[in-house]
Amino acid sequence: MIHASLALARRALRVTARRPQFIAPLLVFPSLLLAVNSGGLSQARNLPGFPPVQSFFDFQLAAAMSQSLLLGGVATGIAVALEIELGFFDRLVTAPIPRLSIVMGRLLAAAAIALFQLSWFVLLGLIFGNGISDGIPGLLIVYGIGSIAGIGFAGIGLTLALRAGNASSVQAIFPLVFVVLFLSSAFFPENLLSWPANIIAQYNPLSYIANGMRAPIIGYGGAEAVLEGFGAALGMAVLFAGLATHALHRRLRAG
Amino acid sequence: MKNRAVIRALVRRALNEIIRVPGAAVPGVLAPTVFMLGLTAVFGQVTSLPGFSGIDQYIAFVLPVGLLQGAGFTGAATGVNLARDIEQGWFDRMLLAPVSRPILLVGIVASASLRALIPTTVLVLVGLLFGVKFPGVLALVIAASLIMVVAACTACWGTIVALKFRSQQSAPLMQIGSFVAVLFTAAYAPIGMLQPWLKTVATLNPVNYVLTGVRQGFIGSVTWADTWPAYLAGFGLLLVLGFFAVRGMRRTGQ
Amino acid sequence: MLAIQANGLERTFKGQIKAVKGINLEIEEGEIYGFLGPNGAGKTTTVRMLVTLLMPTGGTALVAGHNVATEPSAVRRKIGVALQEAALDQLMTGRELMILQATLQGMPDKLARERSDDLIERVGLTEAADRRVGGYSGGMKRRLDLGMALVHGPSVLFLDEPTTGLDPTSRFALWEEVSRLRTEGTTVFLTTQYLEEADQLADRVGIISDGLIVAEGTPADLKRESGANHIEVALEDSGNTEAARVALSKLGTPEETSGAHDVCIRLSDPSTGVADAVRVLDEAGLAVAEVELVRPSLDDVFMEKTGRRLEGASNTPA
Repeated sequence: MIHASLALARRALRVTARRPQFIAPLLVFPSLLLAVNSGGLSQARNLPGFPPVQSFFDFQLAAAMSQSLLLGGVATGIAVALEIELGFFDRLVTAPIPRLSIVMGRLLAAAAIALFQLSWFVLLGLIFGNGISDGIPGLLIVYGIGSIAGIGFAGIGLTLALRAGNASSVQAIFPLVFVVLFLSSAFFPENLLSWPANIIAQYNPLSYIANGMRAPIIGYGGAEAVLEGFGAALGMAVLFAGLATHALHRRLRAG
Repeated sequence: MKNRAVIRALVRRALNEIIRVPGAAVPGVLAPTVFMLGLTAVFGQVTSLPGFSGIDQYIAFVLPVGLLQGAGFTGAATGVNLARDIEQGWFDRMLLAPVSRPILLVGIVASASLRALIPTTVLVLVGLLFGVKFPGVLALVIAASLIMVVAACTACWGTIVALKFRSQQSAPLMQIGSFVAVLFTAAYAPIGMLQPWLKTVATLNPVNYVLTGVRQGFIGSVTWADTWPAYLAGFGLLLVLGFFAVRGMRRTGQ
Repeated sequence: MLAIQANGLERTFKGQIKAVKGINLEIEEGEIYGFLGPNGAGKTTTVRMLVTLLMPTGGTALVAGHNVATEPSAVRRKIGVALQEAALDQLMTGRELMILQATLQGMPDKLARERSDDLIERVGLTEAADRRVGGYSGGMKRRLDLGMALVHGPSVLFLDEPTTGLDPTSRFALWEEVSRLRTEGTTVFLTTQYLEEADQLADRVGIISDGLIVAEGTPADLKRESGANHIEVALEDSGNTEAARVALSKLGTPEETSGAHDVCIRLSDPSTGVADAVRVLDEAGLAVAEVELVRPSLDDVFMEKTGRRLEGASNTPA
C-alpha cells in the first residue's frame, strides 16, 4: 500500500512538473493578487483593531498561501478528472494495487506540491517583506499547517473529480474558491470584516488555517492561533481524504 | 456592404454560444460579481482611512473594477474560443473566405464588445441592490462604451495569444493579461494611497485612466477632465493591440 | 487555361523540415485529379499551399489563374475547400452554417439563403437542415462540408481526404457527388490514401512520396507502365510446388508468394491468362486447387517507384 502510494505520488509529481502551465496559475495569480493587495491597501494596517505588523505585505502573505493551496486542490481535481475522461484512471484501477493507494498517492503528491508552493511565498516574503518573524520554528509551522491543509484541499478536488468524472465540472468551482477566501479572515482580520463575512469567517476553517500560518510570519497570535490552525488543517485533511475515499469506492462500485 | 454582412455573421455566430449554451455566460458574470462583493465584504472598512475622504461606500469604489474585470473575462473567453476554433479547424474555414484579415478580426472583437454588456448589466444591478447610488444616465453611457472598448482590447490580446500558441491551454496567459491590466491600477484605493511602485505602474497604465472614466458617477460626478483621457487611453490601447492582432492574423500560414 | 498550375512548389517548416520539395502540376479545367500518397507524404501541405492557407517557401502556384502568394483573395473567391477535418460549429444548424459560408463568400442575404437551400437539397440534408450539427453523423457532416464548399459555385474544388473515416455507404454517396461535379465542369483536386478512390474517381493521378511527385498519369496508364500481371496458383499437393514453378516459368518469372498460394509468377506477356496457366500445369501432370490472375494496382505502381507499399493499401474500403 505504501509502496504503491509512493509510486503513484512520484508519478503525479513527474506529470505535474512536465506541465508548467498547470502549476503556473497556482503561483502567478496569488502572487499578483498579493502584490496588488499589499500595494493598494498598505495603509489598512493603520485601522484601529488591525494587528501590529511591520508591513501589510507580511499580513497578506498567509492569504496568498491559502489562495495558492486552495487553487492547488482544484488543480488536483482537474488533473484526476482528466485522467478519468481519458481512461488512464481505468488503467490504475485494473492494476494489482490497493485501490486506496490511488487516493493516497494523489494526496501525498499534493502535500509535496504544497511545500513547493509555500516555499515560493516564503521566498517572496524574504525578498519583499520581513521574512518569517519566528524564524525556523515559525517556518516549520507554516510548512506543517500548509502541507496538511494542502492535503485537505486536494481531497476536495479529488472528491469532486471522482463524483463528477469530468474536468469542466471541477473547473466550475473556481469562483467558489474566492467566495471561501472572501468569507474568511485570510485577507483581513476578522474583527474588521463587514457583515455577514465577519460572522461566517468565525465558522470557516480557512480562517484558522490562514491565521495559523500567519501567526509565526507576523509574530502575533501565539500558540492558540497555531494550534487552531493545525486543528483546522487536520480536520479538513481527515474529512476530505475520507470523502475522497468514499467517492472512489462509489465510482468503482458503479463501474 | 459585404464586409458589414461578414462582420454581422461572425458576431451572430459568436453570440450563438451564449444563446444556445446559457451557462457559457455565467463564469464571466459570476467571477467579477464574487470579486466585487467579496472585496467589499473584506476591505469595506478602509473607507474610514483619510485617503478615502468623500468616499463612504467601498462597493461604489470597486464596482467599476468589477465592470472592467467583466470586460477582461469576456475578452479572454473570446481568445479561448478562437483557440478552440483553431484547434478544431474552424479558423481555417474563416481564413479561406475572400475577406480581409482586419475584417475577420473586427467580427471576432465586435462580439466581445457586445458580450461584455452582460456582466456590465448584472454588476450594475447587483451594485444598485447593495446600495450603490444610481450614477446617472450619462455616466452609465460613458461606462458602458468604455467597457466595450476594453472588451475589444482584451479580445485583441486573446487573439494575439491564441494565434501564437494555437491551443486552449494558453487560456491562463489570456486571463493574466487582463488581470494585470485591470488590477495594477487604482483599483483598491485612490492613487494617492498606493505604494510608490504601484502608483508609478498605475500612472503608466492606460487602463487606470479608463477606470477613472468608468468610475464617474459611481464616485463623484462626470467631468470632461476625466472623460477624454479615458477614451484616449482606451482607443489608444485598442489601436496598439489591434495592430498586433491583425499582424498575427496576416502572419498565419507564413 | 489551366485550373491549377504549380512550378517547383516547396514548403520548408521551421527546423528545416522540407515537407514539399518541388511539386509541378498542370491540371486542366474540368479534370478530376487524384493526389495519392501515404500519411506524411506532403499531400495536405500541398493542398494548404494551393488554397492559400500556407505560404510556399519556394516555387509558384496559380489556381484559377491567380497566384496563391500574391493574389490570395482572388484565389479564395474561385475555390471551394473541404479539409481533412470537417470543421463545423456544433452549436449551429446545417442551414445556418451554409448561410454563414455563403455570407463569408460575399453573397447577398437573399442569394445566400436561396443557394443554401439548393445545396442542402443537393447533398441530401433537407430533413436535417434545421438540426444542430452536433447531432449529425460523420457522413452527414462530410456532406454538409461538401455543400458548404460548393455553395458559391467555385470553379476549383479541393477535397482533402474526403472519405476518411466514413462507412461504405457514405463513401459511395460522396463518390457519386464528386463524379457529378465532373459533368458540371468543376475541377476537382482530390487527395486520398485510398487506392480504389483514386482509381474510381480520378481522370489522372499524381503519386506523392516524401514531398515529390514520383508518378503521374491516368490510372490505366500508370498500371500499364509499371505493373505486370501475376498468376497465383494453389496446388492440390503442395509437395509439387517446385515442379509447378518450373513448368510455369515458361510463362514468366517466379516471385515470392503471398503465403496463401504455392506459386506466384510474374507474366511476361500481358495477354497470358488463367487458361494458359491451367494448360501448362495440366501438361505437367499437376493438379490445381486454385488459380488467380492478379492485375497490377496503383499500390504496385507505388511499390515500383518508391520501394514500399502505400499504407492505404491496407485501408481500402470494406
